Amino acid sequence: MRLADARALVPDLLTAPGEPQADRRLIESIANWCDRYTPWVAVDPLGGALAEEGAEACSAGGFGGDAGLLLDVTGCAHLFGQGEAGERALLADLVERLSRHDLTCRVAMADTAGAAWALARFAERQADLLCPAHGQRAALAGLPVDGLRLDAPILETFLKLGLRRIGDLYPLPRAPLARRFGDRPLTRLDQALGTLAEPIEPRRPAPAFRTRLAFAEPIGRPEDIAAATSRLLAALCRQLEQAGVGARRLEIALYRVDGSVDRTAIGTSRPNRDNPRLMKLFEEKLGELDAGFGVELMILAAPEVETFSGAQDALPDSGAIATSLGEDGTIDLADRLALRLGAENVVRLLARDSHLPERVQTTGTAAKPAAAGAWRRVADLKGARPTRLLQRPEPVDVTAIVPDDPPSLFRWRQHAHRIVRAEGPERVADEWWRPRPDGSRPPANIVPPYRDYYRVEDDDGGRFWLFRDGPYTLAANGRPAARWFLHGFCA
Amino acid sequence: MPVISPNTFAPPVTRQAANDAAAPVAQALREKVRRLERAHSAERAGRLAVPLGVPTIDALLPDGGLLTGALHEVEAGAAPSGRVASHDGAALGFAAHLLGRLGTLRPAGTLLWCRRPSGPGDAPPYAPALAAWFDPARLLMVTVRRDEDLFWAMEEGLRCPGMAAVLGETRAADLTAGRRLSLAAEKSGVPALLLRSQPAPAQSVCTTRWRVASAASCSTPGLSDLGAARWRIELRRNRFGVPSVAETPTWLLEWNDETHCLSVVPQAFRGSTRARDARLAG
Repeated sequence: MRLADARALVPDLLTAPGEPQADRRLIESIANWCDRYTPWVAVDPLGGALAEEGAEACSAGGFGGDAGLLLDVTGCAHLFGQGEAGERALLADLVERLSRHDLTCRVAMADTAGAAWALARFAERQADLLCPAHGQRAALAGLPVDGLRLDAPILETFLKLGLRRIGDLYPLPRAPLARRFGDRPLTRLDQALGTLAEPIEPRRPAPAFRTRLAFAEPIGRPEDIAAATSRLLAALCRQLEQAGVGARRLEIALYRVDGSVDRTAIGTSRPNRDNPRLMKLFEEKLGELDAGFGVELMILAAPEVETFSGAQDALPDSGAIATSLGEDGTIDLADRLALRLGAENVVRLLARDSHLPERVQTTGTAAKPAAAGAWRRVADLKGARPTRLLQRPEPVDVTAIVPDDPPSLFRWRQHAHRIVRAEGPERVADEWWRPRPDGSRPPANIVPPYRDYYRVEDDDGGRFWLFRDGPYTLAANGRPAARWFLHGFCA
Repeated sequence: MPVISPNTFAPPVTRQAANDAAAPVAQALREKVRRLERAHSAERAGRLAVPLGVPTIDALLPDGGLLTGALHEVEAGAAPSGRVASHDGAALGFAAHLLGRLGTLRPAGTLLWCRRPSGPGDAPPYAPALAAWFDPARLLMVTVRRDEDLFWAMEEGLRCPGMAAVLGETRAADLTAGRRLSLAAEKSGVPALLLRSQPAPAQSVCTTRWRVASAASCSTPGLSDLGAARWRIELRRNRFGVPSVAETPTWLLEWNDETHCLSVVPQAFRGSTRARDARLAG
């Protein structure tokens, strides 16, 4: 129906333009909020797909064609009461809390996502919304076939054939049905009835370890949030200890009274379940959190964990044990620095076996320093090296008396340096066995490109590390083809 | 009519008496000043001193070496010709020597190196060369974007119990930050170093300040090769140290990269110390 037709029928019709993006944001925020019940929350994939295609409305109705959240509450309902009473209480709680935010919703619970989907949209009586265990076959029988999450053409054909209710499909032979409509209707039917598994894909990976703390009264003071974090952390650390793992990443979420969620995370450079240390890291981050009008629920989760056997407590006065385990506080310091400066800015220097000077020094994580003596070996193998190495060699203009000689003058950044002493060349050839950066391999039968390095000293005593890129040859215009570069500064 | 007080004509004895009365006050003040001075002197907290390895210089330093738990500054100086040095390779070498010496107190401790990259033409320290002074595996490299972060990272490092020494590369001369670093170093006993690629304003709270410029090395006779690295070093500030005859004591030092030792080049002697040693031995 067009807007003009609708206006003709109801003259004082209220209209508002559709805003799929805003709808999307709303459903995302409700999904975030639903994390309070279970970590397994998914935005209904069917609704999402339809919204992306720009379909006007899903056959199931709903606003913007993009309504619906799937929650896997397996093992969560008992928190609200025993057995079916708990499930009922969970549903009531969900509806009640959502209605506080002026949201009208229909919530159904069933053994399968498909059955719950159909019930939430097409159940006629309120009592049908909670489908008892293994009762989905009976519950679905009376519902229209639209409840099967099928495309519109199939549904139209079903209606033409007189298949109006899902129950009408039960007695039909499966093979002819599949031949005529493809396997889609049967798959959907099996999924709804539970003979075919349909996993829910959660929006964010469900953490294996999490703790929650709900407050009777919303809290807002930073001290209260810090105290609550410390309690959550203590509980989580116990969980981690029982499982024999340590957290690499911890995420804390504040569920505010207005339904929004604020999150922050900390990372550690090695598995950790040391309560005071983690709390210290959190203290840096808690300032960034905004409690808004108040926080009613906090959830602390460990999305990334690693096996961690734990460190044995050192005996008093046995400093040697503490340092041998790296317990001297350096790792904690690195974590704290990385939290503010970024993990890529707090690094260890690692030695790499390479002839190319710029490839020798690489960086690694703060928790894993180079092996003792690795650098000594690298330094002993090579000639004199500069104390500073330019990240990219800078071209210099060079004057030499004899073509193949070390230069007698070079000009770098507008300054001329007259060379008094020079030492070299040290020839460094390209590593032909290593693939080039573009992935290709250099041909084996040619002489690999090389550099001739010279250590030079200018009349001021400044020492530089220069190289000529390739052999001395003359280009077509009579000028030297090989260029000179400055690569480092010596002590 | 002017009123003349009898006191006006009183003999100077009374004034003497007043001075006597003030004497304890002055005494107390002097004592207080001394206490305040001692509060920052070497005796406090039993700070250790690490010898530099050059007896001539160590003789001038308090307790015969560089104090741990104090802030030291190394800055690159101008070349002998007066031209501003184009790089601080020499200052970095000397700072690395200091870092290596200070790091000997905790042989397994971490060395924190904080620096702020200077754009595309940045030249980070190169570990194969630093290996002459200490094991680069001990380094924890921290790169920052702002000077505030650099000073913050250094302070955090100074408070860390496993730290052997902390070095910061910066151009900023922040008096407050320097004071904070100095106090943090004093409290924890961990030495702090500031490396500046350019001369900084003189006012600062550091215990020692060194200005380092590279000097011409000495070739093998008959050749024009590079000899051992030579640095002209000025001790521009020497707190708690022994006063020197010269206003700023200056030495020409030679770093022998084979024996890994630093030695003073005698001014009268022009040849390489290596050649001289060989001659003396022979």
